[in-house]
Amino acid sequence: MSNQAPGVRIDGLTVVYKTPAGELPAVRGVTLTLEPGSITGIVGESGSGKSTLALSLLNAVQPPGRIAGGSVEIDGLGDVVGLRGEELRKARGKHIGYVFQAAQNSLNPLKTVGKQLLDLGRSHGVDDLRGLVREAKELLGRMGLDGARVLDSHQHELSGGMRQRVGIMLALVLNAHLVVLDEPTTALDMITQANILRIVREVHAERGLTTLVITHDIGVVAEVADRLAVMYGGRLVEQGPTREVLGAPRHPYTRGLIQAIPRLTGDIDEARALPGRPPTLVTVPKEGCVFRERCELRMDVCDTVDPEPVADGPRLVACHAVNSASASTTVATKEHA
Amino acid sequence: MTLIARRLAGHLARGFVMILVVATISFFIVNNIPGDPMAARYEKLVEGGMAPEAARQAVKVLYGFQPDGSLWQQYTDFMAGLFRLDLGVSVTRPGTPVLDVLTDAAKWTVLPVLAGTLLSFLVGIILGVYAAVKRSGKLGDALSISGSLLHGVPQYVLALLVVMIFSTLLGVLPADGSVDILYEPGWNAGYLGSLVEHALLPVLTYALSAYGGWILAMKSSVVTVLGDDFILAAELRGMKRSIVFRYIARNAILPLFTMLALSLGLLLGGAVFIEKIFNYPGLGWLLIGAVTERDYALMGGAFLLITVGTILANIVADLFYTVIDPRVRSGEEVS
Repeated sequence: MSNQAPGVRIDGLTVVYKTPAGELPAVRGVTLTLEPGSITGIVGESGSGKSTLALSLLNAVQPPGRIAGGSVEIDGLGDVVGLRGEELRKARGKHIGYVFQAAQNSLNPLKTVGKQLLDLGRSHGVDDLRGLVREAKELLGRMGLDGARVLDSHQHELSGGMRQRVGIMLALVLNAHLVVLDEPTTALDMITQANILRIVREVHAERGLTTLVITHDIGVVAEVADRLAVMYGGRLVEQGPTREVLGAPRHPYTRGLIQAIPRLTGDIDEARALPGRPPTLVTVPKEGCVFRERCELRMDVCDTVDPEPVADGPRLVACHAVNSASASTTVATKEHA
Repeated sequence: MTLIARRLAGHLARGFVMILVVATISFFIVNNIPGDPMAARYEKLVEGGMAPEAARQAVKVLYGFQPDGSLWQQYTDFMAGLFRLDLGVSVTRPGTPVLDVLTDAAKWTVLPVLAGTLLSFLVGIILGVYAAVKRSGKLGDALSISGSLLHGVPQYVLALLVVMIFSTLLGVLPADGSVDILYEPGWNAGYLGSLVEHALLPVLTYALSAYGGWILAMKSSVVTVLGDDFILAAELRGMKRSIVFRYIARNAILPLFTMLALSLGLLLGGAVFIEKIFNYPGLGWLLIGAVTERDYALMGGAFLLITVGTILANIVADLFYTVIDPRVRSGEEVS
């Protein structure tokens, strides 16, 4: 694989989980492109399917889940949905780095970080293990840690922020150029959050990565992402350049999310919580729009027809109300294109 | 190293106090069991025409203490004897020190029980991993059921079944005693072969009765570890299967070492039922005899031996953890 940031094209991806009520989709017909060298953020509530989507990039959806349809094309790797066995194992870690949520214990508690680094190197047939250790120390040093000390530590001797940086180091040390970060700042204090986000931005730029950040925190996306995709009930409801989406949200769900954030200045009552609760795997509507139960723009068509994402310039919105109102502009854009 | 030394010192001090406490308790319990073999012998001697004073002296010489001394005096004598490793003299084997009787019986218990425990541990943990990994398949079900079944059958029933199958029906292995008296004891093939032959069924019974506990414990431990984040993390980092397997195994086996150490500690108690059924002259067999024959000194000694074994096993288990689990080593809370 080249040393350049790969592009990723997720097309019509559907992931289902086996439940007593049959196979239910956690991710349904998601189409998303990660431009080479970009940082894309996916926001959504718990259960929106964002972590399942992230795991799909490594073809690592855990049973009882499985990828039921669609493709994930990664430059240099092809469609990872078709990868199996050793091919898939080698792609993980070497081409795609995955960074776990900080609160999760992503390290073997019985081994030092250094020994696990060597395990990683041996798994991927790295001949120059000394070089690998040097690279790891450099990365850790780059993130403000004492590399030698950290490599000699066990997980329980590291703080949450340190563990997260170790996670980033392990994702990058084999020179992967596609990095998926799942809730990278959850369960960290504010200062550590800011540090981790700065590191993500800087390392992304320095190493020339394509980065996907999964989070429930719009603040995180605003901080790092070039492009933003909003997930709800397993569907991508809106996506576009971060500034545009946050500045002028179109989908009623995105609007609701942004209105729910309390401001530093102004009245606390200005923040309005979205009414209702997010759907679960079982309660998500089988047909029609997934958001209609909580939507203030609900129309009759929403009960029966699932809105397709409609492009408007760099932005995509999947909403009958929004798209019928701006139908004329959409047509106009298409004619220009 | 200093940490381990400090821990060891603390354990030994606590263990010492515990041994004294248990020795005291077992002394008084044993002495409160109805029936008094010393008085019985004393009376027998008097009945046989011996003068009371001479009979008292004879009993004293035989057992090392006054049969009619106060309980408190007997207790202080017993405790003082402990420090000289003197556990008194067996009542039923006049003139034989309890310690000799115990060490003689121990060699018949330690090896077979050790062999049975280690065999069942090894088989149990290996099959436990399979039972966990294949838990949604037929193989996993079969393994789990075999574990529950063997775990649920009482030891004496298992022992009788083993005797029935291998000795009565098939007639391939002896089920009585520890060695054929035909052979001259020593390093000769006939004697050693007979030893092994006689040990096979008791060992098999130990192993079968312990196997269920190991496989079930290992299965649940592996299932827990399989759900841990770091296993998924290792897979998502593209770690080799063999390495991920080692991560799982090492983390899953950790809690089982406590159980192993404790069962090795209880090993000195022998397996009472098994030794009784196979007429195997180990510590369990000895203990049954001592209890039925009111051999106070021997009972007290056997109980003490079990106590010491358990306490030592606990100490060994704890020290072992400081070596194999870094979280214990650094004395921090496990997160």
